[in-house]
Amino acid sequence: MADLLTHLLVAYALCTVATWRVDWLDRRWVVVGVGGAAIPDLVKVRLVVPPSAVERALGVPFDVAPLSTLGGVLLVAGLVTLAFERDRWPRAYGLLTFGGVSALVLDGLRAFADGRASAWLYPLTGWRPPTPGLYVSSDPRVLLAAALLAAAVAAVDRARQ
Amino acid sequence: MTLRRRAAAAVLLLAAVSGLCVHWAATEPQREAYPQPDELAADYDSYVGEEIRVAGRVTAAEPSALTVVADSDRGPVELRVTGTSAAVAPGGIVQVYGKLRPGRELAARNVVVVSDSGGAEWYKYGVSAVGAVGFLVVFLRQWRVDPATWTLEARDG
Repeated sequence: MADLLTHLLVAYALCTVATWRVDWLDRRWVVVGVGGAAIPDLVKVRLVVPPSAVERALGVPFDVAPLSTLGGVLLVAGLVTLAFERDRWPRAYGLLTFGGVSALVLDGLRAFADGRASAWLYPLTGWRPPTPGLYVSSDPRVLLAAALLAAAVAAVDRARQ
Repeated sequence: MTLRRRAAAAVLLLAAVSGLCVHWAATEPQREAYPQPDELAADYDSYVGEEIRVAGRVTAAEPSALTVVADSDRGPVELRVTGTSAAVAPGGIVQVYGKLRPGRELAARNVVVVSDSGGAEWYKYGVSAVGAVGFLVVFLRQWRVDPATWTLEARDG
């Protein structure tokens, strides 16, 4: 996957552009949408807690990979939504999901050796969508492009105010 | 909503996430089109001639071949990837698509260099850490935890 900062910057740009059309969407809600883009990166918990160790402890097959899928985003967004006040749940959930899906789509565009992305639409389908292979995650130009996009959107946003 | 009911909802959602993690792992063999490193570690010879997509760390690089080690639950699986001139140093990570040949050789049809050296991996983690810290700072400027209700509330009301 792309690095976390790239995910956050792209979600910031998308959510900020959305504020130009949606009245209630202000800066504090943009931050929530940006946070949603971090959900797929929770899969990195495997660096700290190896799934094989969890498998041995539980005695059942286990892999945190679905955190970086549509199903994982929908459920974790629900968990985070619970931290907000009840009347803010629809907005919080919508934005967290939007941010999370933006990160999944971005990851679905990166290069895979066989030309097919991971099954990020799981559990709707185990199908692996074709990928245009636009980038590899450790390429600094990816972050540069995301930073330029975010800066351009921020400049336009400031000019509009 | 009371704290108790929110906690109950959180437990339910956590259970659902765990269920997804178990279901994913249990159904992986049906989803995966290619043999997995575990299977190669157990019985390499029965997969010779099959196509595979595998990710691993480069341990040796020659002009037209790479030695790649993939992790598996049964220990590391070492493959000699031939037919590639990918520019990658030992310590880098590659993804290889190709055909398995006898003698733990993988004839590459396509190689994607995920990280061209060990340093490129650290770049990714470093940048991600910067992102995480930066996000927390920005988030806590807009939101705060109300200790009375244990909910997040906007700082400007």
